[in-house]
Parts: sequence; C-alpha cells; structure tokens
Amino acid sequence: MALDEAAFENAYRAHAARLRAVAFDILRDRDGAEDVVHGALLRVWSTGAYRPERGPLLPYLIACVRREALDGLRGSKRRHLREVRAGMDAPRAVDETAALDPIEARRVARALECIPDVQRDVIVRAYYGYRTLAEVAQDTNLPLGTVKSRLSAGLRRLHTELTEGLR
Amino acid sequence: MNHLDDDAELYALGLTDRDRNAEIEAHITDCADCRARVIAAEAAAAALAATLPPVPAAARRQTWWPALATAAAVVFAATAAVQGSASYTARAELERTDVALTAIASSHFGHTTLTSEPGVVAKALYARDGAWCYVVVTGAPRGAHVVLRRGAATRDAGTLDAGGAATLFVRAPGHPDEISIIADNHVVAHGAPVY
Repeated sequence: MALDEAAFENAYRAHAARLRAVAFDILRDRDGAEDVVHGALLRVWSTGAYRPERGPLLPYLIACVRREALDGLRGSKRRHLREVRAGMDAPRAVDETAALDPIEARRVARALECIPDVQRDVIVRAYYGYRTLAEVAQDTNLPLGTVKSRLSAGLRRLHTELTEGLR
Repeated sequence: MNHLDDDAELYALGLTDRDRNAEIEAHITDCADCRARVIAAEAAAAALAATLPPVPAAARRQTWWPALATAAAVVFAATAAVQGSASYTARAELERTDVALTAIASSHFGHTTLTSEPGVVAKALYARDGAWCYVVVTGAPRGAHVVLRRGAATRDAGTLDAGGAATLFVRAPGHPDEISIIADNHVVAHGAPVY
C-alpha cells in the first residue's frame, strides 16, 4: 500500500485551507485555485506517488500544489496575470497579521531577518513575487547561476534558522 | 544521475521545469541524501506558505463537482493506458481515485463499489442530496448503459463513454435504490447507494 489512506484524508481536511491559500495567492482566482488543489491531490493519489519515507505529508503537498499553480500561472491562458505581476514594485514583505497562521508567520519573518540580505532578496522575489529564475536574474542583474546558488543557500539557511531557532 | 545540489531547493520552491522535476523525483526515490535535502527544503518552503494570507472566505466556490469530475476522468484516461487488462490493477486505480474523491469532499457524497462480473470493476459516486451521480467502470462492454432503479421505476441514465475507464455523469438522479450497468440486456454490475 503506497499510502495510509486515513492519514491522507485527515491531512487533507486539516490542511486544505493552506493548500488553497498557496494556490490562490499565485492564481488570484478562487475556482482556479480549487481546481489546482484537486488536480494536485488527484495526481498524487492516482499515481500512488507519496510514501511515508518521502517526508512529512503537508510540505510535500504544499510543494506539489505550488508547482501545479505556477504551471498554471506560466501557461498561456494566464499570461496577462504575469504581465500584471511584472509591473509590481518591490517584492512585498511578510504581513504577519494577515497571515493564514500568524504565529508561524512571525517565526518565519524573524528567521528571514536572520539570513543574509542577498539571499533573502532572491527568496522574496521568487517566493512572494512568483518570478521565474530567469526573471529574478533579469530583475537583479545577476547571473543565473548566482541566483540559483543564493536561492539554494538562502532556503537552507532559512531551514536552519527555523529548526534551530525553536529555543 | 548526479546528485541534485542546488536543484533540491529550487525544486522545493517550484522553480524547476517539468522535465527536471521528473528526473528529480526519480532520483530521490533511490538517493537518501538528496531525498533528505529535498525534505528539508520543502519544510522551509512550507513554513513560507504559512505567511500567506488565507483565501477570502465569503467567496469559496460552491459548485466544484464538474471540474472535479473532469479531473477524475483525466486521471482515468491517463492511467488506462498503462494499467493493461488485469482487473486487479484497475481495481487498485479505482480505489486510489475513489479515496481521493472521498477525501476531497466526503461530507458531500457517498460511494459504492458495484457487484460486478469478473473483469469488470464499477464504482458509483453520488451526491447524498441526489443532485448527481458519477459512474466509473473498467472492463465494461462497449455501449453499456447505466440504469437507475427506484422502487418499481427504472430510468436509463445513458451510455457509458468509451475508453479504458468508461464514465457517465448523471445529473439529478434523485435517490435510486439501485444502480446497474447493463450491456446486451445483461447486468454486468449492480449496487445500492447508501444515503
């Protein structure tokens, strides 16, 4: 058996709001977000792709939903949204008070403050601005390789801050 | 394949393309080090997701079913190509998808596996309020019908579409006592919904 069905169902019920929020923030379209969440879950279930050794379920699902939603955003049908986003000013900062999970958001905001500016900058552009690697490189006048290595190092540093910052 | 290096984090952030994603997923099945790195990266990315604003509550969609039915049909179409004729494989596919559908909105609909002939796997998903019924069958003879019975009254709900997993979406079936799949005047599957 590829997955624990009851665990999966419980996870969905408990975390559907977060999955929807991930998709909605990217697509700005409620129906589209709902479809993305359903589509990602159906794909995961129907292929039996998830196994416990793959890691905790929620982060895995969040990553799946984000990939799926970004695919939607980058498809031709949503190109206009991309144009709108391309015209946005500076990447937005974390608004803890408006967050889905304000307590966790506060912890994350603090952790983000602890990582080097150059790493935080590319993470914020890519994560909250939904820019592609090439777009981040263009926006920052950095070589693509530098963008990649800063994103990678930044996310690893963020993980360290979050796991060691529990004290 | 080489280790993922930076792509582990880029993958977790949704910044790698589809082809690369497939390679990464294959690699981490076998490589425990890279898998651990992806898991850590996904944990950090999930923490970032907690900072997002919730979907505005008032406008949650009410009628999600048609899109979901389409998604399920797509899944079946995709899996039908690789599942071959072995009925146990078809059954596994049906059960997995059924779990998905049930989990997505278990408060809204019920599901039942129809008793069927060898080689046929049939499931019905149905809204408890009688608004719709969705029948999915693998191994059914071409042109098989879905027939609903309530008391002494029967209704031919239509013909299953063609394909490895044949489907039929029935609007407003009400609350039939029995759902049957009939081909050449012969019952190949039947079952009773529980409302």
